[in-house]
Amino acid sequence: MKEEDKLSLIRDILLTDDREFAEKIAERIKYLETTLNEPDQLSLKVDPIISKKLSEFTKKIPETLGGTITEALKHEIANSKDAVVDAMYPILGKMVKKYVSQEIKILSDKINNRLNWRKKIRDKFRFNKNHFKDSLTPTRIEQVLLIEQKSGVLVGSYSNTKTVDEEMISAMLTAIKAFVEDAYLKKEQHLELIEYELFKIHLQSFVNHYIAIVISGNYLLTSKDKIQNIVFDFYEDFTKTSDISKEKTSSIELKLEHHFSNAKI
Amino acid sequence: MLKSKKVVLVGHFGVGKTSLIRQFVHNTFSESYKVSIGVHISKKEVVLENKGKMSLIIWDIEGTKEITNIRSSYLLGTHGILYVFDVNRPSTYENLGKDLDKLREVLPTIPLLVIGNKIDILDDENIKDKFQKKKFRNDFLTSAKHGANVTEAFNCLAKELL
Repeated sequence: MKEEDKLSLIRDILLTDDREFAEKIAERIKYLETTLNEPDQLSLKVDPIISKKLSEFTKKIPETLGGTITEALKHEIANSKDAVVDAMYPILGKMVKKYVSQEIKILSDKINNRLNWRKKIRDKFRFNKNHFKDSLTPTRIEQVLLIEQKSGVLVGSYSNTKTVDEEMISAMLTAIKAFVEDAYLKKEQHLELIEYELFKIHLQSFVNHYIAIVISGNYLLTSKDKIQNIVFDFYEDFTKTSDISKEKTSSIELKLEHHFSNAKI
Repeated sequence: MLKSKKVVLVGHFGVGKTSLIRQFVHNTFSESYKVSIGVHISKKEVVLENKGKMSLIIWDIEGTKEITNIRSSYLLGTHGILYVFDVNRPSTYENLGKDLDKLREVLPTIPLLVIGNKIDILDDENIKDKFQKKKFRNDFLTSAKHGANVTEAFNCLAKELL
């Protein structure tokens, strides 16, 4: 046996533990490297920790950030009251309408239950009467004007038939509306309907705008309800996706046409 | 659709607000005087040099004795104001300063021009001199009857609305 081999043998005998330890460390490093470089493996290790931390953080939000968020929201709402109310108006309008119609339905059902025998005859009569009236003069949207609430400036319009200058009509409607609302000192109430001969103008007010809809044919309570729903839907969709003040007239008019031309009343 | 701006004419009754509008919009004048009741709306498209077209929606509000009697809702959303007085009737301009202050309380930032109308029947040289020397604010001295300075006044306001 050569000297070198002897030395090697002695080293092997003496340093076995250290070598095994070094090998284990190398294996561990390799495993860690694999874990770090493989997203799936890393995810397995890290996800539970992040989830736990996030869950703790979410639970603590009301305590830690609640005050700040509330203050920020208050500040934002105070600075843009009109925008907030404008956004809420169609939603609240729908909710109120639903609540009122539901309450009326409950009341009506109660009355009808008590007068059951009369109900059948009355329903039959009412159906026939309405059916007859509807077949004579179907309700139809002739014109829609989207108008700035304060200035009366026309923002956009959709029309089935040509009429006189729509900008003049918009300004005049605004003047009439302002006059009536002023005259009765009801600042929170709005003029809702103008009638002339066979036409009705339904006015639906929001905060910054109002929509005037010229209707021909029957204008029953049910028509009013449907028109309100159509207008609320339009305004809600519109304000959700765009800023009316920045939108081009042509684009507004396309949206008006798209929404109102096929609206069924 | 052109860019539209709401312009309101205010002033005491009988100062010629309706006549100014009629002259500006239709190029006509009528000697018969009819009191305006409520509000009358007119529209005129104006072409501004190098600045394109604009649609003026002109609100002719009924004349009042006091500026505070104007229905405030008619002034909402106004883009520009023409305050009109009659150069021959001191009662229509002697409180001009106060009236303008009151208007400014409601509409602090919008363009406002003061028009002294009916210069065609002003024969008192002293008064003429007073107006020419701007003892009272007057941005334009006009004659709705002859059309003098009428278009200029409206166009000047339109330019300020851009």
